[in-house]
Amino acid sequence: MKKYLAIILSIAILVCGCKKKKEEEVLFDRELMLKNYAENIILPSYKDVQSATSSLISAINTFDSQKTLMNLELMQEAWIDAYNEWQYSSIFNIGPAAEQGLSKALVEEIATFPISSTKIDNIISSGVYNLNDFNRDARGFLGIEYLIFSGLNISNDSTLTLFQSQPMRMQYLKDCATHIKTKIDYVTSQWEGSYKAEFISNNGTDVGSSTSQLYNAFVKSFETIKNLKIELPMGLRPGQIQVEPHLVESYYSGNSLLFIKTHLKAIENTYHGMSKNQNDGIGFKEYLESVIGGPELVQSTISQWNLVLSSVENISTTTPLSQQIISNPQPIENFRIELQKHTRFFKSDMSSLLGIAITYSSGDGD
Amino acid sequence: MIEKIHSYLNTKVAAAPLISFRLIFGALMVFSTVRFLYLGWIEDHYTDPIFHFKYWGFEWVEPISKTGLYIIHYLMILSALGIMFLRGIAYTVSAVILFLGFTYTELIDLTYYLNHYYFVSLVCLLLIFMPNHISPFYKLGEQKVKRSAIFILKFQIAIVYIYAGLAKINYDWLIQALPLRIWIPANDQLPLIGPIMTWEITPYLFSWIGMLFDTFIVFVLIYKPTRILGYIAVIIFHTITGLMFQIGVFPLVMMGIVTIFFSEQWHQKFIRFFIRKEKSFSSPKQFITKKLILNYFIFIFVIFQLAFPWRYLLYPGNLFWTEEGYRFSWRVMLMEKAGTATFYVKDTKTGKEGIVDNSEFLNAHQEKQMAMQPDMILQFAHFLGKHYAQKGVYKPEVRAEVYVTLNARPSKLLIDPYRDLMKEKDSFTSKDWIIHYQE
Repeated sequence: MKKYLAIILSIAILVCGCKKKKEEEVLFDRELMLKNYAENIILPSYKDVQSATSSLISAINTFDSQKTLMNLELMQEAWIDAYNEWQYSSIFNIGPAAEQGLSKALVEEIATFPISSTKIDNIISSGVYNLNDFNRDARGFLGIEYLIFSGLNISNDSTLTLFQSQPMRMQYLKDCATHIKTKIDYVTSQWEGSYKAEFISNNGTDVGSSTSQLYNAFVKSFETIKNLKIELPMGLRPGQIQVEPHLVESYYSGNSLLFIKTHLKAIENTYHGMSKNQNDGIGFKEYLESVIGGPELVQSTISQWNLVLSSVENISTTTPLSQQIISNPQPIENFRIELQKHTRFFKSDMSSLLGIAITYSSGDGD
Repeated sequence: MIEKIHSYLNTKVAAAPLISFRLIFGALMVFSTVRFLYLGWIEDHYTDPIFHFKYWGFEWVEPISKTGLYIIHYLMILSALGIMFLRGIAYTVSAVILFLGFTYTELIDLTYYLNHYYFVSLVCLLLIFMPNHISPFYKLGEQKVKRSAIFILKFQIAIVYIYAGLAKINYDWLIQALPLRIWIPANDQLPLIGPIMTWEITPYLFSWIGMLFDTFIVFVLIYKPTRILGYIAVIIFHTITGLMFQIGVFPLVMMGIVTIFFSEQWHQKFIRFFIRKEKSFSSPKQFITKKLILNYFIFIFVIFQLAFPWRYLLYPGNLFWTEEGYRFSWRVMLMEKAGTATFYVKDTKTGKEGIVDNSEFLNAHQEKQMAMQPDMILQFAHFLGKHYAQKGVYKPEVRAEVYVTLNARPSKLLIDPYRDLMKEKDSFTSKDWIIHYQE
């Protein structure tokens, strides 16, 4: 009899499927979540960085026409503002911002660090460059930072002199800014156009689904903070014999900590499904709360996240991160430890509970 | 008794089921090899990664060049066609190439271990020893083989299903409906059956149906009056699991090859549907396999298949947690497990300890598999130790902090995070650096 039972039940289930539609109860609607991400988080972040980049370009043009100390400072402020906005978008390397053919993910195209000051100096002296070649460490937001800030111990007066004596520096700066703008414009227009609908309707959990892509991009971005922005400059990779402060993000203007904090905020917003103006919509957190084991995980995640945030607040804001790595590394190390403790909650625990496929290969068949 | 078994197995029976098994299995091998090439998996799986996880005892298997791997896959396609249509020595040589080619590629990296790849390797191995005088182009009524040939294939299929079914008889699967309670709701967007996936009862039903199906389906197929119902169940079951999970060609393979349980007449019709003409039978020069060796081989094969999956009983602790004795035992889709593994490499002269970024060395699939399986963690630790020793780290100590979640439970430490893994070796003995799971 048992053998029949199996067959009859499986057929019965197939048949029932067509009738009983009303019983959908605590169902989580991934499509609503994706809609919230697209409309309230991702697209606004691109629009913001787009307009901040436009402001940067006009500040550059103003400076070009009148090379004064004040205009240099205004341009620097516009850069800080634009790169700060970029932190929010830097997570979403999916769809039009994903790696495609020869072009890398947007974050690598326009925000590679550390940059190579040697390459940039060579470009300025030779005037030879191609913004589509593989030298991504000679351009992007952080290439611009080098051009307009020169360095921590270099005064703005000296930078101003550099611009006055090197017309190529100005030319390259303008081209780099336009290059960034073009890339951001493209991604923004795709999100404003057909990609948004495609993103929202691709609502499964398989490996190519929007949920899976977004989740992978989110975790990768989170790991970047610990692996690249903290561990590398602290000299914590095996084989590194000493600290390497020049490897921090934003070495030349010394705003590393500001950008890390914004990056953390962007990660937090993404987890909660929250927009920049604190409208808390449906996000990964709500998704987790709807699955088995999820509420417990959300609780552990949030309490560990609070430790991450309080540890980063303990790092002094008065001295650049690259200097504190040498003079006062303990608070940074504490921050790293809290990030390390947090990793499993975002990485394996979350993907496991949500049943999101993260790799393309076939799994074990039944 | 032994006499009886002996004469039962040596009775000559119609060769048609074996001929169509070869046709179906060969066609599936052609399809899955072409799919593998098309998906670019030679690059992704074999030639792109910097590091490969090895099978115990097969550490010497290395990927050859990309061209070489392509040639092997082309040869596999040809030899799969060979087992479908050739006979005599040409058939046996095809089977040998198919077995060696497929098994070699599987042995390159443990990351991609799948029970069904193991199953395919075993079937290819069995096909080498099959009678080779038969062919779909000759009169089917005149072609006979010893029953043992068909028996051993049925036996292998039975082992897969029954052991997979028995493995499902555990607390998490039947009482907690785990991991299906995690996986099933994630499939709510499937056409037609999507809405069912959100019902609370569905994971429980699927768990029990799955267990009963796997355990009993072979008997349902053997018993003639229930055979058709059984095959309908096979189709429904494998179609649903195929839609729900990312399991590649496996559902097709099973739907194809369980037809071996069908009658001789069915197979004759099946073969003649595709190959209309038939020549009258003539026996080709046979590839001689010594009868005695063959019988011993089958005997050892059967004993091994029956016994090997039970080796886990010799290890302490929770099998799902330690995975000691987990592989090669038909435990399929049994648990949801994932981990985050952080490796620390210490220079024993300076005392300086560094933190590894796994993605420098592993692709996403390799990292995911490694982060929850102790033997793979150990292999990666040894790789890191050697790698950084070459980079100038003095006699490195390597330790790993590994947090693993099993069936939606909060993650816990899998291994002793302070143990120097460079001092540990992989063997069949139990690993004392695993921290046993406590609720």
